[in-house]
Amino acid sequence: MTYLRAGTTLVFTTFRRLVWSVGTLMLLFPLAACTLFVARRGYPQISDPLVAFNSLSNFLLYIYASFMPPLAALAFGAQSLGGDREDRTLVFLLIRPVPRWVILAAKFAAAWPLAICVSCGGLALLCRLAGPPGSIAFAAYLPAIFYMTTAYTAVFLAFSVLFRHAVIAALVYSLFMEVLLGNVPGIIKKLAVNYYGRSLMFDAGVDHGLVAPDPQWFEPLSGFAARGTLLGITLAVLVGAWLVFRLREYEDSA
Amino acid sequence: MSTTNTEIALTFDGVTRFYGPVIGLGDVTLRFGPGVTGLLGTNGAGKSTLLKLASGRLRPTQGCVRIGDFDATSLAAKRLLGYCPEINKFYEEMTGREFVRTMTRLYGYSWSETRQRTEAALDRVGMLDRADRALGGYSHGMRQRIKLAQAVAHEPRVLLLDEPLTGIDPAGRREVNQLIRDLADEGRTVVVSSHLLVELEQSADHLVMLQRGRVQAEGTLAELRRRLDDQPLTIRIESPQARRLAAICVAGPEVAQVDVRGDAVTIRTTDAPQFFVALNELIAAHSQETEPLVVERMETLDAGAEAVFDYLQRGAT
Repeated sequence: MTYLRAGTTLVFTTFRRLVWSVGTLMLLFPLAACTLFVARRGYPQISDPLVAFNSLSNFLLYIYASFMPPLAALAFGAQSLGGDREDRTLVFLLIRPVPRWVILAAKFAAAWPLAICVSCGGLALLCRLAGPPGSIAFAAYLPAIFYMTTAYTAVFLAFSVLFRHAVIAALVYSLFMEVLLGNVPGIIKKLAVNYYGRSLMFDAGVDHGLVAPDPQWFEPLSGFAARGTLLGITLAVLVGAWLVFRLREYEDSA
Repeated sequence: MSTTNTEIALTFDGVTRFYGPVIGLGDVTLRFGPGVTGLLGTNGAGKSTLLKLASGRLRPTQGCVRIGDFDATSLAAKRLLGYCPEINKFYEEMTGREFVRTMTRLYGYSWSETRQRTEAALDRVGMLDRADRALGGYSHGMRQRIKLAQAVAHEPRVLLLDEPLTGIDPAGRREVNQLIRDLADEGRTVVVSSHLLVELEQSADHLVMLQRGRVQAEGTLAELRRRLDDQPLTIRIESPQARRLAAICVAGPEVAQVDVRGDAVTIRTTDAPQFFVALNELIAAHSQETEPLVVERMETLDAGAEAVFDYLQRGAT
């Protein structure tokens, strides 16, 4: 009961701090840009539903899925604990009789719904604007965005356990691992979370007429394997973060 | 520090802490019991390392740190501990009341008990009527009080205060010192760190002086001052017969140096207790003369607390 009270307090406090943060404001810009793009593209006016669906899918696959889930996870996942480290307020948590796993779980529990809300909510908004092809795309791609965002949130929370300036580290990681390496041909892209998310999207989209990518450039995993890998990444990273966090000494915490 | 084992609340047993190849604290054995213990040292002396070890945020490389019967890193030990960090950072968007309430709730109290403890803590630090403003708009002194409130709200047995008087005006210092004394008078073990001994003179029962990660001296201020008796001491005497007084004093074997400026004589003595005895005898002997020796004011220029500290530091280098 004691830990539950402490944990819920920490979730509520972190949630409130994240909602009213600069990160939330910053997320509005890419979301607004995506909204403008979809609105101007005029998907409901495209007469061929297959063309419309493929066009929207390409945007969601290569632009939205590449940027919004990692950005949302970065704004909330990296900041949930990273904000305390950067502001040096972590000391107030570490000196209290709250197990480290409760702190970590509370930080994830506060960041995760916010990241999901932004990335999945953003998808819902774009698909709604896109009209009929959007309805199909939303049902098909929602699970992929959900799992991707969850995995990214876990990864960036782990970054905040490891690095004092987690947001900077997460930005560097996103740029090199997810954007650059995640898009190069060959096996190296399998190191990126993005690869598994897009595999899941391709798997779901093909059933609705999405043209499969050139296997030489991008060979997607099956939906089952991609989903399993994303869940595995989430769990493995959270366990790893807990193992580090439970023993780590934060000398910089004041 | 305490006299009996049962009273000892915070124990350092042969504690050494390295930061890579650098020693932060070296083979420190200390017992902290009820009362105020002042932890003194310059920057880098090891005060922060000692407090981080005591609050369980660092583990010792060797030895052990215990709060009551518990290892300092354990959750049970943290229940007994209140900590006021040196940093001046908070959840700035919160009000003082919200912050203290949130921190108190993390001990697992029910909402009603959390509220009650929060109000009591705010009342104790004199912030009850100013706690509804956002922390970002608080003065330094008010922020220090809020830090104190979050540290005492759960009525800890051991209280660690890291530079609690920094940035507080003299009136505020008196109040905080009184608060520290009150907490100690309730039987708590209060450890207060500072790099200025003058800040602790009013409140500390005991002093621990750290230098380069080692305990340089410990004891009451009086005990530490006694260590000065064998050391050179500078005394300033104001007298209308300053030149005459200087001429008489300079003959004393315990006087090393005499300097006269206006109506003041500054005397450097190598044996302070003997000098004071000799000075009293001189004044008594000359009291029957037509122009007796008059001492209007006398002060020891380096026997104050800072001088003890300076002396001990010099001894360490």
